[in-house]
Amino acid sequence: KMAAAGGLQRAGWRLWRARRAVVRCQQYPPLCALQASAALRAPSDEHKKEPWASSSQQHFDSPPAGHQPEQKPQGPHPSYTGQGGQESEDYESEEQLQHRILTAALEFVPEHGWTAEAIAEGAKTLGLSVAAAGLFHSDGSELILHFVSECNTKLSELLKNEQKLVQLGQAEKKPIDEFLRDAVEARLRMLIPYIEKWPQALSVLLLPRNIPSSLTLLTSMIDDIWHYAGDQSTDFNWYTRRAVLTAIYNTTELVMMQDSSPGFEDTWRFLENRVADAMTMSNTATQVQSTGEAVVQGLMGAAVTVSNAGTSRAVR
Amino acid sequence: VPGAGAALRPCSSRVAQDGINKPVIDRIIRVDHAGEYGANRIYAGQMAVLGRSSVGPVIQQMWNQEKNHLKRFNELMVAYRVRPTVLLPFWNVAGFVLGAGSALLGKKGAMACTVAVEESISEHYNNQIRTLIEEDPEKYKELLQVIKQFRDEEQEHHDTGLEHDAEATPAYSVLKTAIQLGCKAAIFLSERI
Repeated sequence: KMAAAGGLQRAGWRLWRARRAVVRCQQYPPLCALQASAALRAPSDEHKKEPWASSSQQHFDSPPAGHQPEQKPQGPHPSYTGQGGQESEDYESEEQLQHRILTAALEFVPEHGWTAEAIAEGAKTLGLSVAAAGLFHSDGSELILHFVSECNTKLSELLKNEQKLVQLGQAEKKPIDEFLRDAVEARLRMLIPYIEKWPQALSVLLLPRNIPSSLTLLTSMIDDIWHYAGDQSTDFNWYTRRAVLTAIYNTTELVMMQDSSPGFEDTWRFLENRVADAMTMSNTATQVQSTGEAVVQGLMGAAVTVSNAGTSRAVR
Repeated sequence: VPGAGAALRPCSSRVAQDGINKPVIDRIIRVDHAGEYGANRIYAGQMAVLGRSSVGPVIQQMWNQEKNHLKRFNELMVAYRVRPTVLLPFWNVAGFVLGAGSALLGKKGAMACTVAVEESISEHYNNQIRTLIEEDPEKYKELLQVIKQFRDEEQEHHDTGLEHDAEATPAYSVLKTAIQLGCKAAIFLSERI
């Protein structure tokens, strides 16, 4: 049941992409064949890099006028649903190809920014046509989201390994403020190679279209950090802690954009102060709560005493 | 998130216990945790009013069992990395008010509230057991065991409530329907937010 559902899902996904290819057909005729062939690549297709490059070069070189772009498929291609969703082992899915292109493109971001040029250069290094950049949005959204997702994965790995070392007794367990500080610093340091162009990326991440994805990436990263910090709250604290850490992360990120001190030491000092503030606030909150409880108990005691005094006077 | 254009799965960085149906388990644990939390507060409210009456010990005993249930779900929540519902502060107050309110109607009123709530919860647990069995009884064995045990205990509370003349409450059916509607709404909301 699950395999068939997966196969249908993939088929549906490909149909959606093929339809997108049609939309793009109207805008970029030379890319049509590339798009359509990308969308329609059958699961059993063994040819990957070389033939892809050569066929796309062919389409790119042939004049658009005489070139009949492949239109939308007649319906769900029988080959993918027919094969029961099983793919050959060396089949590279569309997602994996895009992943590779985007990873290769990151190298060119410091020079070209988060743009289609960077993606085109990345595609070139993989031996693909620069037209592959047409697979993505022109504002570089996917490239940025890919980068953020990769950074989050790296951070998770880092924290998991640290945790393993502590469990094996090879490292000391850090106090919470130090842990949070180090985790946020490690994550922000991943931005350093791209720091010049990062403000541009932040504004793209705030586009309404990208907000659901960027928010999900942010919240899962913050949740990861708290999880490895040992947070086990199951009440409203769960939200408070994550909100506080998100605020710390975001403000520190912004400070980093403006920071010109050597080695970003101003940023790390800012981060240290914010984390310390958060710890103080939480201690204060606990103190306020216990004081409040003590006051309430005192008042109850006073009320009982007064009522006892009243009844004893009445008895007399 | 297909709308993002490329075939990116932004949450691929989160690795849950491999192979479990995370969204389904998330919902189940979140709503059950909220339910036990609410039940705790209901009994707390009832004890605040009827603690020193003749049914005090009965309510106290049921409350103790609910405390154990809540503890267990706290552990499961941490183990499966499930987010608690945002509405917890609200259930905190609403539960206490319901418990205290029903207790102010008298001992029978408190028992009627217990019957209504426990019936809702038992039905809800039964639905979850069905869902998990449909998914994969082997994979979710531990969770199934927990839910089955808790369902049995909630059923006991329901029967205890009936034994203590819940049905003799004035306007019993109206009260019961109203409370059960509230429970359904609470379950719906807690699953989602």
